[in-house]
Amino acid sequence: MKRAHSSVGRAARLLQLGAGLAGSYLGYQLQRPFLREERATRQRQALRQRQAQKLRQELQDLRGPIMKVGQALSMQTQFLSAEMIEELSALQMHAPPMHATLMRAQFKGAMGKYPEEIFRSFEAEPFAAASLGQVHWAVTKSGEEVAVKIQYPAIREAIEGDFQALRAAGLAVTLTGHFRKAVIQEAERGILEETDYTKEASNLEHFRKALAPLEFIQIPKVHRQFSSDQVLTMSRVPGLRMQEFLKANPSQELRDKLGANLTRLFFFQLYCVGALHADPHPGNYLFNNNGSIGLVDFGCVKYLKPEVIRCYAQFWSREWVHDFKLYTEIIRVLFGPKMSPHEPRVRRCMNEIRRFYDRYHPFDQGPRILDIGNPEFMESLGDLAKVLLKNNFLSPEFLFLSRAESGMCNLMHILKSRVATTEIARQWRPKP
Amino acid sequence: MSLLNFLLRCAVNMSILMYMSKAAEKTPKRPRTGARAKNGPGKREKNKEQTKERILRAALELFKEKGLEGTTTKEISKRSGIAEGTLFNYFNTKEDLALYFFQKETDDLIAWYGKETRLQKAPLAEKLFAIIHRQLEYLAPYEEFIGAVFYRSLQPTSTLSPLSLESQELRLKYLRFIREILAEAEEKEQLPRVGSLGAYAVGLFYIGVVTFWLQDRSRGKQKTLALLDRALNMGTQFLKKGSWDW
Repeated sequence: MKRAHSSVGRAARLLQLGAGLAGSYLGYQLQRPFLREERATRQRQALRQRQAQKLRQELQDLRGPIMKVGQALSMQTQFLSAEMIEELSALQMHAPPMHATLMRAQFKGAMGKYPEEIFRSFEAEPFAAASLGQVHWAVTKSGEEVAVKIQYPAIREAIEGDFQALRAAGLAVTLTGHFRKAVIQEAERGILEETDYTKEASNLEHFRKALAPLEFIQIPKVHRQFSSDQVLTMSRVPGLRMQEFLKANPSQELRDKLGANLTRLFFFQLYCVGALHADPHPGNYLFNNNGSIGLVDFGCVKYLKPEVIRCYAQFWSREWVHDFKLYTEIIRVLFGPKMSPHEPRVRRCMNEIRRFYDRYHPFDQGPRILDIGNPEFMESLGDLAKVLLKNNFLSPEFLFLSRAESGMCNLMHILKSRVATTEIARQWRPKP
Repeated sequence: MSLLNFLLRCAVNMSILMYMSKAAEKTPKRPRTGARAKNGPGKREKNKEQTKERILRAALELFKEKGLEGTTTKEISKRSGIAEGTLFNYFNTKEDLALYFFQKETDDLIAWYGKETRLQKAPLAEKLFAIIHRQLEYLAPYEEFIGAVFYRSLQPTSTLSPLSLESQELRLKYLRFIREILAEAEEKEQLPRVGSLGAYAVGLFYIGVVTFWLQDRSRGKQKTLALLDRALNMGTQFLKKGSWDW
């Protein structure tokens, strides 16, 4: 049986998984005294890769809310090995689909009425899977087209159950150094927050207001009267998803325009709003032929500390290279207050960051167009992330930020955009 | 209700119903209809049915207010406007009334399903989901009353007990209805040949779901919805694999 539906079945699979991982780890520990150092390292790496693959395979088979755990874990990069992150980032979220009868029953449970009593028309077939639920097109009685996101019933309880199972399985898995208690706790908190659609509605409203100065960004309007914590009704935003958009073979000019707009969106969010639309999944962006971009799914939003943003801005403006005081400040934010700026691993990280930005976003030499479609750029970005991870670059907020940055780069890479990144970065400054 | 009670009930149900399964299979699917049935029920019978419904409505209102135990025959008579003596011509006990309630429920269910043309084409898991959900919706306004009835039906002397003759008739009607739906799925090869046993499994599953539903305090009884959906998906998928040869 590939899919496990009941929580008991899922718990059993998680336990099996824990036992399996612990088993192979024990096997390695037994062999270790007999292995030479070099071989031991190689063997450990191979073992971790096998475990990572196995873990992803298992998580994928489980589906449902537990998928969300995998996604959340892939965000908690500071706690995981590089092989694990690679495997986990391949996960995509699928909540179990609801048939029309269940969807109607769940809608009534959440809203007190059936969808056809509230809307003029309502499509029983969902057009997309959403985080923890599915989305249907509908038309309100006043004639407005809306998207209605409906959550799978009792998903909160299911997630709590899954985490209980994960904690039990974690007993074995922590042996292998894959999970830490803090990771699981943080992931659970994050996911449970996502189950509350009123929170997402507030995020939508906040971003709609804050991003209003960017006329090329469209964010759906929340219809509070048709929403609850498990149903979210939003206005329909025009645009196509990445794959469909690319099918029409858009011109290079349009690709560049969209890339520039994405970059502007990123800096504006960071410097003027202080928060990030934190799910850089391509499915959350809608593209239009006039260069405008629709942003959907605000379940996961990250508000960042001002000092982290200031610190990140330094990477672009590079004032820290000549200013030791600024440099020590950055080190404090990124590595903790006690870290010495002369520590070798700190210097390795900072050198790598400097090299990367000098190469791709040179600040001092006038406007420069960066071809993000070039695979070399993405490779360098990946290499940078690897160096930082290897050297225990330990600021969770900062990792979140770099994840958003690489998410944006990934979008532009798929679009094959050419963008004057430095020039755009220069236009924005963090709030003092 | 304790787990032991529930298991006991299941065991009793199962053994009796398995015996009765032969009867269910032998009985023709469409019972022979007499001349009277063809022209609809006679006036006298119609009146009788109307009175019964009036009593039931009054009783249900009272059960809602005062519970099954707290309601007296006198009060039912007063609320329905039917003399206490006459009342006994229709229902001997409150349990008879409850049984009548379930008969109405089953009739309503079968009539409703007959009209649901979209559902009739849906996959088996959705069909069964919709049927059980419809039953729960019917019960929803009388949750406390149903809880009390469940407790009563555990007593072997009760008319509601699975051992009583009166309740068997109702049960058979329901089982035949489910059996027909399963037979259709068998024909379409959505299901291996499960025979009458499948209908009993669904019947027992329904009792289990009602027990769960009665305890479910989640908003909109969401936990029951999730349980139903997952269990039916798992059940139908498991049977589809054909790992069991019936």
